[in-house]
Amino acid sequence: MNWVSIRLEKRLDTPRWLNAVTPVLSVLAALVFIAVLFYILGVNPLVAYRRIFMGAFGSLYGLSETLTKAIPLILCGAGLAISFRARVYNIGAEGQLLVGAIAATWVALFVPGIPDPLRLPAMFVAGALAGALWALIPGLLKAKLRQDEVLTSLMLVYIASELVNHLVYGPWKGAQEWGFPYTDKFPPSAIIPHLGTTRIHYPTLIIAVLAAILAYYFIQRTRWGFEIRVTGENPEAARYAGMNYLRTVLLVIGISGALAGIAGVGEVAGIHGRLRYPQGISPGYGFTAIIVAWLARLNPLAVLLTGFLISGLLVGGDAIQLALNLPAATVHLFNGVILLFVLSGDLFTRYRVRIEFPARMAPAVAVRPGVEVKE
Amino acid sequence: MYKRILLPTVLILIAALALAACQPTATPAPPGVQTVEVTRIVEVVKEVPVAEKKLKACFIYVGPIGDIGWTHAHDQGRKIVDEQFPWLETAYAESVPEADVERFLDRFIVEEKCDVVFTTSFGFMDGTLAAAQKYPDKIFFHCSGYKRAPNMGTYMADFYQVYYLNGLMAGALTKSGKIGYVAAHPIPEVVRHINAFALGVREVNPNATVDVRWIFSWYDPAKARQAAEAMIAEGVDVLAFTEDSPTVVQVAEEYTNKGQPVYSFGHYSPMAQFGPNSMVSGQLVHWERIYEDILMKVYLGIYTPKNLENVDYWYILGQKGVELGGDFGVPINPKFEAPLKAVKVTDPLLGEISVYDLVFKRLEQMTDPAVLFDPFTGPIKDQQGQERVKPGQRLSLYELTTIDWFVEGVIGELPR
Repeated sequence: MNWVSIRLEKRLDTPRWLNAVTPVLSVLAALVFIAVLFYILGVNPLVAYRRIFMGAFGSLYGLSETLTKAIPLILCGAGLAISFRARVYNIGAEGQLLVGAIAATWVALFVPGIPDPLRLPAMFVAGALAGALWALIPGLLKAKLRQDEVLTSLMLVYIASELVNHLVYGPWKGAQEWGFPYTDKFPPSAIIPHLGTTRIHYPTLIIAVLAAILAYYFIQRTRWGFEIRVTGENPEAARYAGMNYLRTVLLVIGISGALAGIAGVGEVAGIHGRLRYPQGISPGYGFTAIIVAWLARLNPLAVLLTGFLISGLLVGGDAIQLALNLPAATVHLFNGVILLFVLSGDLFTRYRVRIEFPARMAPAVAVRPGVEVKE
Repeated sequence: MYKRILLPTVLILIAALALAACQPTATPAPPGVQTVEVTRIVEVVKEVPVAEKKLKACFIYVGPIGDIGWTHAHDQGRKIVDEQFPWLETAYAESVPEADVERFLDRFIVEEKCDVVFTTSFGFMDGTLAAAQKYPDKIFFHCSGYKRAPNMGTYMADFYQVYYLNGLMAGALTKSGKIGYVAAHPIPEVVRHINAFALGVREVNPNATVDVRWIFSWYDPAKARQAAEAMIAEGVDVLAFTEDSPTVVQVAEEYTNKGQPVYSFGHYSPMAQFGPNSMVSGQLVHWERIYEDILMKVYLGIYTPKNLENVDYWYILGQKGVELGGDFGVPINPKFEAPLKAVKVTDPLLGEISVYDLVFKRLEQMTDPAVLFDPFTGPIKDQQGQERVKPGQRLSLYELTTIDWFVEGVIGELPR
């Protein structure tokens, strides 16, 4: 007989407060866990957290960097939140970001005859379209052929990445770049303006914030949004109610792809000013955005907050290396632990945990002779 | 009485003469590239008293310092200068994503108060240049790139001569005539190394081929293994590579120990321990030679944030920036001494000579300050059989650093 029995009971209905509190507690639990790791590594956890916090939010510089990195995370995260709501698990935001970057580069360097003031808008439109089209591939495969979109969208990341490689090593390799895998620099009209001397390309930031707000409005207040939510809760019921499954899937995955594509435009036109090989454009924003969306409990408005916080964690993570002299792997560990805790924390919103102590109720009869009972 | 003075005087004279003889004579800069004459002043001023002035040098690495390749080698260099100069403090950041380098540069300058920052990946070039413009009174050095500024120099320790020497040995040892090369990114540096390697191979074994597989990554043990095993399956029995882990050496060792000999050449760091039975030789680097020279000159005020526009270090065998071998001081794994001595070739100038002796002869010629030999001496044909280097001519430094074609004997394509 067990001393303790832990049972999970499915919740019929999740209280609102729990939805809000769970991610916060999960992150706190993760931080406590990491604190132990810091301690083992010989670093005072309080000092470490202080440095990370100060690195991300404690100075104007840190804050500006956190905002800069939050832009692609918010864009991708808001799109993924919509997609995941419909239970369309688009894992390929990274790939959609890259094709967005490709499309923007094409418009910036190879399409003649666009008047200067229209160059950037055209790049954003092209990036959004490219991202959406790239995302529609796994969308169609899912809706038409019932192919698992987790796999197909993920595989398309690698194809997009090889496509970027092909272009920068091949036909688009810059004439002035000594054979290095870069395209030529974008003309000034194709560079997104910055806020002062920071790296915040603010037009993209504005688009990101608007996108998150619109996404929230769309999902909560419109009929299509309602269909998306119903499809996510119960696809069979949605179909029974005459909702168009194909249209819903294509809509959500198309939106998430378009937003990721816009993020890609922001990175090449706002940060790098050219296309370069994939690792140089994005250190995995499309994947990190999955954490962002999940942490926001798939609420696009909350993505604004979680995108900013996760970005802060990444930016502040510098301190782990620079100020605390811990190996770079610690940063990945840090992020991994947080994701793990947030995802497992989800359990508590869907299940009620019952802990029972049968031994307490059953008298000493249960104890085998010779075994001492400590109570 | 005289004797007591005479002996030291003579000794000093001899030493002075020897020193003078050792001073490298300046070689004319190839057209298109301005090189700054690099003199080794470090020896002279090593005895600088512990001064009140301090210098902080910071290093930004693209890979983990434990990669046993590129980043590891740079970090070894950092540790050596850190110990050598009492006035020097160093810091580093590893595994820095290329998209994030500007932030690390900002933090190193603003928060960690670095005086000199070294960025050690060609992907950091634009970010380093941006930082150099943002912080005009700080000094930046970028490794393996070509963009410079008044406060940003460039440096590189290049292996092409060593790859050529490895190629001589590979050509002598292959039985199948098929040699494989696991290659990182198709950029001029890697293309140059593949070409030099192939030139060595074909000098000894005119019919042998060098098969190239791109893995599009500097550090990817899984892809390196796949590429190596795929080529072995196609009959390749000697492997060279550009990738920052000892994976290819390990694969060759596994096959050799199973009874199918596959030989390999280590890359960047001493990898002898990973292939005691199969690794023939390799390429080793001494980044500390460059780092000590740069830091000393910065410390003494010879380098300022205003005069680095034309400072480009190109350290090869002559400058002792690189070394032949799989472990420091071991140019050729003793196990391969006999097989290499057994293969004889006829050289137009040297006559009949064993490959073993040829390697050391060429090493000596290339280490000579006058650089008596260069692998990229014409006639050299490209893959299409077109003559790219005229007989008797050498490729210039500019041509070497922008090379985008393969020599005859290389199988594989450059992405276009």
